[in-house]
Amino acid sequence: MSDKNRPIIEVKNFYGYYGEKAGLKDVNFNFLSKKITAIIGPSGCGKSTLLRSINRMNDEIPVYHTEGDILYEGKNVYDSDVDLTVMRKKVGMVFQKPTPFPMSIYDNVAFGPRIHGLRNKQKIEEIVENSLKQASLWDEVKDELFKSAYSLSGGQQQRLCIARALAVDPEVILLDEPTSALDPIATQNIEVLLEELSENYTIIIVTHNLAQAVRISDYMLFMYRGELIESGATSAIVKQPENKLTEQYLNGKIG
Amino acid sequence: MKLKKDLVISNIFRIVSYFIFTIVLMIFVLTIGNGISYFSFDFFTKAPMDGMTAGGILPAILGSLSVLALSLLFSIPIGMFTGIYLAEYGGRSAMAQLIMTAITSLAGVPSVVFGLFGLSLFCITFGFRTSLIAGSLTLSIMTLPVIASTVNEALKAIPRTVRESAYALGAKKTEVIFKVLIPYARSRILTAILIGGGRVIGETAPILLTGAIFFSTALPNSIMDPVMTLPSHIYYISMAYGENAQWMAKGTSAFLMIFVLIIYGIAFKVRRKMNER
Repeated sequence: MSDKNRPIIEVKNFYGYYGEKAGLKDVNFNFLSKKITAIIGPSGCGKSTLLRSINRMNDEIPVYHTEGDILYEGKNVYDSDVDLTVMRKKVGMVFQKPTPFPMSIYDNVAFGPRIHGLRNKQKIEEIVENSLKQASLWDEVKDELFKSAYSLSGGQQQRLCIARALAVDPEVILLDEPTSALDPIATQNIEVLLEELSENYTIIIVTHNLAQAVRISDYMLFMYRGELIESGATSAIVKQPENKLTEQYLNGKIG
Repeated sequence: MKLKKDLVISNIFRIVSYFIFTIVLMIFVLTIGNGISYFSFDFFTKAPMDGMTAGGILPAILGSLSVLALSLLFSIPIGMFTGIYLAEYGGRSAMAQLIMTAITSLAGVPSVVFGLFGLSLFCITFGFRTSLIAGSLTLSIMTLPVIASTVNEALKAIPRTVRESAYALGAKKTEVIFKVLIPYARSRILTAILIGGGRVIGETAPILLTGAIFFSTALPNSIMDPVMTLPSHIYYISMAYGENAQWMAKGTSAFLMIFVLIIYGIAFKVRRKMNER
């Protein structure tokens, strides 16, 4: 098990290009283990690009290419010998809109363990129950595990997606604006959940919602036009931003 | 002033659509109404007798069902794989574009041309003669574009994030396709197969040229034997038989119509269920 405050993901001189256009310019940052780190900034600033570069989700975009390193546990995820399947098992992801698969609640959560080769039914059952409990969804769905995942509400679906990500036993969870499609109550549930999860998991969240970042994050990155402008402890940045741009963003003058 | 114009136009639309509905309704009512009185136990359980003036259409029903089953056996897997290739592997490559163009043009080819093609390729070149297999293969080529393009469109319509969620869990491409994307698109794919099937069972020209025989008393012994089918039976009776055999054509038409209606009914139901999601 990893200790608190240990850098688990290190971004070093990282550039991301969409064709000719640089979406990320020379980003350097260490994400600490078992903390919540928020990436904020105006639309198109590169915050999602950075997040999606960590688990190489942007590999799916044909024109995207990178320079520099992103180390996970000291190992560059862009090395040619990296097994994406294994890496993504350790670095999970939750998306903006809930994305349940067209199957039962149970099968959604069991999907990950099954594709990673787990066949033992009892073990799968245990994982499903634990993951749903960790995602604070168990009590609401324990009597209807075999119903379609589409029967759940939006907020429940998003917690199901978190449970599904937890089921493969990751260390890091990346969240790309996970509450932007949810109502305020469902949003609050997710925020409470993320704070609980940060006891055991490293959480990196991209959010448009500055108040949310301030409420839940320990550390913060402010990005602007592909560059990392300012980073550090959330409380410090909010109290006294060092950079003029950060200050303007925090005051709602840009964004 | 403007309001009055709107009223006129909306009335024109209403009249035109009622008119079309009436025509469709008439086709169904007249065909089914004219034929349903000939339905009897014998009609569904016996072969035609006494020069098509008595008996039933059992061999034609069984023949049509075997043509349907056999042609779907070819067109479903080939159509699915083509659609999957186009959506997931082909990308914007020249090959994928070429296949896409081929599929689109295939969908516009008149059925009699398919018939002639099947006749020259399957019956003559492959030496299948007029047979169940030649007819089924010809019809499967007709349904192929429907299935392939539906699978392609259905897969492409799946939100990117559903795909990415599966990849983010560490799934491999084949797992994403077969465990997430195909189940996600299954209603649309099933609808396309049913509509393709409805077309296969009613197609006349291709089966006349490649697989149909005008009379048989039983099911073919092998896929190399010719078959009786519902549409070809209707055609032969109305073209070549006298007044006292016409009742059988009417009864067969009614049965074919009801059969196709049921298939389409299931297709619409599947589609409605999909829309509820």
